[in-house]
Amino acid sequence: MRAQNRPWLLFVLMAPATALFLLLTAYPLARLFLLSFAASDHGFEGAVFVGLENYAELLQGRSFRRALWNTAFFALVATVAEVLIGLGLALLLDRAFAFRRTLTLIVLAPYVLSTIVVAAIWRAWFHYDVGFLNNTLRALGLDGVPWLFDPNIALLSIALADIWQNAPFCFLILYAGLRSIPPELYEAARIDGAGAWRRLRDITLPLLMPYLFVAALMRTLDAFKLFDKVYAMTGGGPGNATETLSMHVHRLAFRFFDIGLASAAAVAMILVAGTLGAVYAARLLRPEAR
Amino acid sequence: MHKPFAALAVAAALASSTVDAHAQDRLVIAGRDAAFGTALARMVEAYQQLNPSVRIERLELPGGPLYERIALNARERARALDVVMLDDIWAPEFMANNWLADLDRLGGVPGTFVKSADAVSRNPVGTGPRFAAPMVGNVAMFAYRGDLLAKHGLQPPRSWSEVATIARTIQEREPGMAGVAFRGIRGNPIVTGFLPILGAFGGEIIDAQGRAALDSPAALAALEQFLALRPLAPRGVETWNATEVREAMEQGRIAMSAEFWPGWAGTLDDASRSRVVGNVNLVSPPGQTRGPAPMLGAWMLAVAADSPNAARALDFIRFVVSPENQKRIAIETGNPPTLAALYADADLVRQFRWYPAQLQALENAVARPRIAQWNRVEAILGEHLQMALVGQTQPREALAEANREIQRAIAR
Repeated sequence: MRAQNRPWLLFVLMAPATALFLLLTAYPLARLFLLSFAASDHGFEGAVFVGLENYAELLQGRSFRRALWNTAFFALVATVAEVLIGLGLALLLDRAFAFRRTLTLIVLAPYVLSTIVVAAIWRAWFHYDVGFLNNTLRALGLDGVPWLFDPNIALLSIALADIWQNAPFCFLILYAGLRSIPPELYEAARIDGAGAWRRLRDITLPLLMPYLFVAALMRTLDAFKLFDKVYAMTGGGPGNATETLSMHVHRLAFRFFDIGLASAAAVAMILVAGTLGAVYAARLLRPEAR
Repeated sequence: MHKPFAALAVAAALASSTVDAHAQDRLVIAGRDAAFGTALARMVEAYQQLNPSVRIERLELPGGPLYERIALNARERARALDVVMLDDIWAPEFMANNWLADLDRLGGVPGTFVKSADAVSRNPVGTGPRFAAPMVGNVAMFAYRGDLLAKHGLQPPRSWSEVATIARTIQEREPGMAGVAFRGIRGNPIVTGFLPILGAFGGEIIDAQGRAALDSPAALAALEQFLALRPLAPRGVETWNATEVREAMEQGRIAMSAEFWPGWAGTLDDASRSRVVGNVNLVSPPGQTRGPAPMLGAWMLAVAADSPNAARALDFIRFVVSPENQKRIAIETGNPPTLAALYADADLVRQFRWYPAQLQALENAVARPRIAQWNRVEAILGEHLQMALVGQTQPREALAEANREIQRAIAR
């Protein structure tokens, strides 16, 4: 008998997942949303309803606006670079050549490192006086770069570390996509006289588009949550040049214990990330994209 | 026995053992890392030897995470900590929220502590019962290379403008040497570096009426003086914290340090680590329109109000702040004592020649504003100071904005 004919069975089968969703996602979100309208230094205990005051304060606050801008800028730069580099690596390693497997392992190595290890490595490389990057520049007769203490460069430096760590993730997704394209298509195109560029433009990229979207979606959402690299590399400084939304929420919640304001900032963050996710999802789920 | 009953019996036994664990003779200590952590570790080791039956667990955390751990533990009423180590500036918030036990009521802590450190361990300040015992008598000192100043015929600076003049002179005459260093990283470090200058110019963060007071000519003059030190400091000073300042001084790369904590000075005269043995002098910070304003940065031990092992926790604190252990901590780890008499101890003065000056600074030390919102105020000021330091904002604008935000934070 089919499950549709037994609604109770569907209910029973879905119950564990539904319960988990309600307990671990819906309940915390509802609580967060309610707390965003309160002045509270803990939970609901002693909380005072303040209406939209927290949201008004967030929008007036220079720190929040700067954190929002930093996060959006970082997400854009890191995502575009990671997807493009991942694509380049996938195209390169999709070909047969000597040491391809070894090179693939080397390419993937940064992705298996923990973020804190990556941050420690890059912090050492970025050191102005004794860092690997500035030593290399000086050996070439160039000046050292204030990677982490120039407010105009610091966020890009963190993006560089993020790209190094996460471009291999995009490579993995896009490489899987490339392997799923039937080789007959390329053979037919070759027979028809299509060159490499034409094959890339008319076969590879269109068929890879869903994979590109998945990679971009996952990296955008992940980049939007950026916390640990900034925490370990700059602490949000210099000034507030690298403060991200996650850091801002953390600071409000766990340094200042301003739970109402932190909840409002978190709600704003969820809205922005959710909108981004929805845009990607809508694009991905269009019938012609399937 | 039926299986369900057996399972219930086992569960009940496990539950009762969990409850009993609270009442066992045990201690959970949350303390700092770095040199403070070493001192606490030595004390735990020594206490454990004397009390082998006590189960001791020590958490070692940097300042920020330690604050978060203690505050979260107290807010959640987790009863997970017995002894907590705290910066003196956290005390107003912790005491106001009843997160610390009244040590006098528990039995008291004997000892005559340095007055300034003793005052901030009581609530109300100086007069109330004791809620903490000062463990490390830190006070912000000023460090300079006596040999370099003598070499160039310079006198030790008496004002912050003289600091800038001397730094410039040395930087010009000693290639590769920076004139002065300070901690430029945002948050607590940069604020701590700035406060002695602010005080010397007669500025305040919070006035006597409890209002934000940074939007003043004195504060502006202090900030401009602070920013004038930047070109005389090593490149990248914006990211410097304690380790960088301490190492630069030990390696002979800076002539002066605007802020130098006695806890960093333990190895200055250790030839295996330092290139400047006997050449660095630690004195009270310079003054300006007012006298010196050395900042108090005492670290204290307290019993968490919800500690299930308060008596044992108090016993451990008494052990740590006893004269013999305070002396041992100073000798072995360089952390300065809080018992006034030890600053005249012959062994200690022989090892730390700056102790007489340090005691003077400690006795004149200025505590940071005693407000429950200090953590937030410090974060706001730290951010704006650093923005001014890296040129993101102008000094006047930085102070005005910081003042507005601090006033809002106090009012919340």
